[in-house]
Amino acid sequence: MQPPVAEPVVGEAVDDGGVGSSGLAEAEFDKAGWGSCGDDAIMQQEASIMASEAERVPLVGFKEPLSSLEAEYESGSPILLNKIKMLGEKYANIRRTRGDGNCFFRSFMFSYLEHVLETQDEVEINRISGNIEQCKKTLQSLGYADFTFEDFFSLFMELLDNVPRGKETSISLEELESRCRDPLVSDYVVMFFRFITAGEIRNRAEFFEPFLFDMGSVDQFCKSSVEPMGAESDHIHITAISDALGVPVRVEYLDRSSCDMGPQCANHHDFIPSVCQPSNDTVNPFITLLYRPGHYDILYPK
Amino acid sequence: MQASRARLFKEYKEVQREKSADPDIQLVCDDSNIFKWTALIKGPTETPYEGGVFQLAFVIPEQYPLSPPQVRFLTKIFHPNVHFKTGEICLDILKNAWSPAWTLQSVCRAIIALMAHPEPDSPLNCDSGNLLRSGDVRGFRSMARMYTRLAAMPKKG
Repeated sequence: MQPPVAEPVVGEAVDDGGVGSSGLAEAEFDKAGWGSCGDDAIMQQEASIMASEAERVPLVGFKEPLSSLEAEYESGSPILLNKIKMLGEKYANIRRTRGDGNCFFRSFMFSYLEHVLETQDEVEINRISGNIEQCKKTLQSLGYADFTFEDFFSLFMELLDNVPRGKETSISLEELESRCRDPLVSDYVVMFFRFITAGEIRNRAEFFEPFLFDMGSVDQFCKSSVEPMGAESDHIHITAISDALGVPVRVEYLDRSSCDMGPQCANHHDFIPSVCQPSNDTVNPFITLLYRPGHYDILYPK
Repeated sequence: MQASRARLFKEYKEVQREKSADPDIQLVCDDSNIFKWTALIKGPTETPYEGGVFQLAFVIPEQYPLSPPQVRFLTKIFHPNVHFKTGEICLDILKNAWSPAWTLQSVCRAIIALMAHPEPDSPLNCDSGNLLRSGDVRGFRSMARMYTRLAAMPKKG
């Protein structure tokens, strides 16, 4: 039997000075300050980064004129400035969300609820309630225990129920803003959407699997990139939630890439739920998001 | 706080209802504090932990289930991903990959799976990790087996 090799360990490794190591080595190890580099220290540092981001941007920000976006890129790349100018022709306002990995779901939440609050569209409320009921059955059939998701569902349903006017519990736009900024409400709704998204991806695993490339199986993807809070969203998440809830979403892309329409035009992509596709009517998404690499905010058309 | 209490109460009822569903896990809530649990888990078969019974301590944060429970081994165990002194466990679902879709029960199952499939490349116990990384499976198994006998098996007689 060969003795254990004392090679240096990289990555998250933390030597505990466990079995076999001398007390002296341990003391030197602590002196070097590496003893505080454990997972807890890493999580603490992440928390402090989150906290400084939290001071800068609320979970859901205020409606700002689009010119505030231009100001951000004052000395930025001409491609970006040009794209912002083009966005300015179509959009009047932007509402920022916090960059905590939940920005897509947070933007989706606010944009959707603001839309139904402003339109008072009872038909839409009934329609989405039906889809949500279906999503619940999907999760049950996939083997999720009710108690793991029901609290998140009921919180969203409560919020949706407060949107129509003329009830004792009705809320104003200001009230909706403040609830979506309250982590106790906002994070629960984000988690509700994460359950819906994971349920849809798992339920249509054959459809989604080819899009995962090197991200593992559908189960691994849901466990690492959908279900945990703070896991960032991309095309797959947006397609899934749009399909599951039957809500079309438009995403405007603001990056340095050029598109086929010419070298310097902002391009967008519409996520149209599969149920809408057979009809020939053009579907006009009422949720429009601005994507900048790694982040989503809400856009308001003119 | 209210939400976490309500969720834990549902988990408590589920555990009572499904008591015999998983004979390898015995999850018990503290008599006076629903935020403190302990679990007894059986070492998986065909591993050096077979025949051992390991105790885990759970401390549940107020933000549960949005935040993960803190779990550590109370029983000493020789495993690459468990701190030899504190019992801290290096498992993604207890850190960044946590989701409310997990339950205390399924966390126990994940820990049993970790016992059967150590990840020597992210060790909390480097001696244990190095044995596996250097290919000394026999050395690893005999150390792990020794600690299972010493710490996780009921004394006879």
